[in-house]
Amino acid sequence: MEENTTNSRVNVYVQKAIRRPGSVYKTAFYIATFGFLVSTLFPFYWLTALAVTPQDQIYGLGLLPNGFNPGVFIEIFQQAPLHRFIFNSIVLSLATTIFVILLASITGYVFGRLDFPGKVPIMLFVLAISYFPPASFLIPLFELFTGNVSILGLSSPDLFNTPGSLILPFSALFMPLSIFILTTFYSQIPDGLEDAARVEGSTRLGALFRVIIPLSAPGVVTAGVLTFIYTYNEFFFSYLMNNGQPENWAPIVHGILNYQTQYEQLYNYMAAASLVAVIPVAILVVLAQEQIISGLTSGALKE
Amino acid sequence: MAQVTLKDITKKYGDVQAVENMDLEIKDGEFVCLVGPSGCGKSTTLEMMAGLTEPSAGTVTIGDRDVTYLPPKDRNIAMVFQNIALFPHMSVYENASFGLSLRKIETEEIDQRVEQALETVEMSGTEDRMPDELSGGQRQRVAIARAIVRDPDVFLMDEPLANLDAKLRVHMRTELQRIHKELGTTIIYVTHDQAEAMTMSDRIAVLNEGKLQQLAPPLECYNQPANEFVASFIGSPSMNMVKGTISHEGIVTEEFSLPASIADGDGLNIDQSVIIGIRPEDLYPASNAEQAGDPTPSVDARVEVLEPMGENIFVYLDVVGEEVNQSGMEGAQGASQLLMSVDPSFEVSEDDHLPIVFDREKIHLFDANSGEAICHQISTKATPDEITTDGE
Repeated sequence: MEENTTNSRVNVYVQKAIRRPGSVYKTAFYIATFGFLVSTLFPFYWLTALAVTPQDQIYGLGLLPNGFNPGVFIEIFQQAPLHRFIFNSIVLSLATTIFVILLASITGYVFGRLDFPGKVPIMLFVLAISYFPPASFLIPLFELFTGNVSILGLSSPDLFNTPGSLILPFSALFMPLSIFILTTFYSQIPDGLEDAARVEGSTRLGALFRVIIPLSAPGVVTAGVLTFIYTYNEFFFSYLMNNGQPENWAPIVHGILNYQTQYEQLYNYMAAASLVAVIPVAILVVLAQEQIISGLTSGALKE
Repeated sequence: MAQVTLKDITKKYGDVQAVENMDLEIKDGEFVCLVGPSGCGKSTTLEMMAGLTEPSAGTVTIGDRDVTYLPPKDRNIAMVFQNIALFPHMSVYENASFGLSLRKIETEEIDQRVEQALETVEMSGTEDRMPDELSGGQRQRVAIARAIVRDPDVFLMDEPLANLDAKLRVHMRTELQRIHKELGTTIIYVTHDQAEAMTMSDRIAVLNEGKLQQLAPPLECYNQPANEFVASFIGSPSMNMVKGTISHEGIVTEEFSLPASIADGDGLNIDQSVIIGIRPEDLYPASNAEQAGDPTPSVDARVEVLEPMGENIFVYLDVVGEEVNQSGMEGAQGASQLLMSVDPSFEVSEDDHLPIVFDREKIHLFDANSGEAICHQISTKATPDEITTDGE
């Protein structure tokens, strides 16, 4: 009797699902969305829980914070110049972004709008760079940036502990993606518009900056924001190309690891600093999300 | 204002000859149409005048300056494009003033010149509108304003009306002529539409396969086409072309013959292969033979298809010679089709037998091998006064 009721309930549900498949899709959608939300937001929750738990309560921490110490968000700034690290990271990322967008614009223009022999192989070669593991560059770059490579008797400039030692490898690694995005966008601007600009009195470069780039705004913003985020989040070179002192342009990664000393590991400080460090990128993404979405999706589908 | 001269211009794309040894001299203040079928090199020629494409050989001169390798911005030209090419992110004012502001001209003067240019194209008061808020015709007017505002030496127009609907196109034609009259600037205009070329230009340059076929006033191209291509390209519907040979009696085709006295020295030789060209309006039904300037004896034909156009009727005729009939080849390749244009009041129906006459004053003969025109009328002396068909 009991079994019968369950069976009939299942039956009713199945019948309903067959009649209205939309409701099943809806349920499946909510389950999937919930899954994504948990997997993306849980780390933030965990960081918050970690951050507000007092240092001496951290061991054996469960899913809930052990105590509540919001003062940690002030202490991290008192303990170390975290703001300086964030500032360094923002400046480095901005400089890289500007550098990348300028160069990638010109490259994208060339690849997207001009025809020349060897265009495809060269473009593939540029793209291939972005697939290299950064570690493969590390040792030669380290040698180069510490002035240990001499070319024709001139030793390379000592860039270690300067912004250059970060901006250069960042640009090289993230440029290909921007070139790729901008090539797609610039190639879609009708020839007539560029011709019109040139006839009206601008140079090719002038037409690029006055007409092609403004009309490719979603693409440029996408490339710029992605470059900024990747650079800001970069760990490998950020960690290795300086000695971790804020005055030596050490980026945020050192700011966070700063709380880990030889004698103590201030996990709550590190968690709080991580949360603070996310803020600039979060603001950027919120501001530019519409452009990014249209940039990423329209690249392939435009008209 | 300036004349434009192309000297021995050649443009190759890989192995493809887009333009071949083109010589073109366009006078100051002239309105010249470059006309030809697609792929004939007319747009490439214009782009070389604009500096958007570099010629493989030859020189381009605007005014007294050799501009062959100058970038477009240094040529003092303006261009109107087929796809209009207004900058979509700029207002009408910004579009029109684009070239002036690049030249660092004072704002007051820019304002004044933009206002004047918009007035010329009858678009005053739209300064703040964006291109996507304008209709196709309005956009093209703004594009023209952008071109005239700089007071260039030469206007280059690349099928500017091609994307407009038929009614607007006819209207814009007269507008362009008005603007040309007002400004008196040299205009070089590319089109594939021979009607546009005929109605607007002072002279037409007919191009085919990268070569200049004829450069002459519209009516001269129409009445005295330099070769078979020009003859068939200019005029709508196009000229009838029939293969024939010169004989002592006149011109003989497989189906009919046109009696004429052929004298040496006309550029014609006995047994020479020629192509007979006759425009649809220069064919007449035999009953209306008196309308022709110099009618030939009538030729037998059968009406295949009628196309009433309102102002006239296009009659597609099958001309069938006796001999062909006898050998049972009727309707085969040998049968010539002719198109005749008649008055709508003329009564005719399909499948009718309809004798027709040719106007000898309007017959063009072209060399069958080279296609060059030999003469634009045939002699009327010693006309045998009988109906003739090919053969006996």
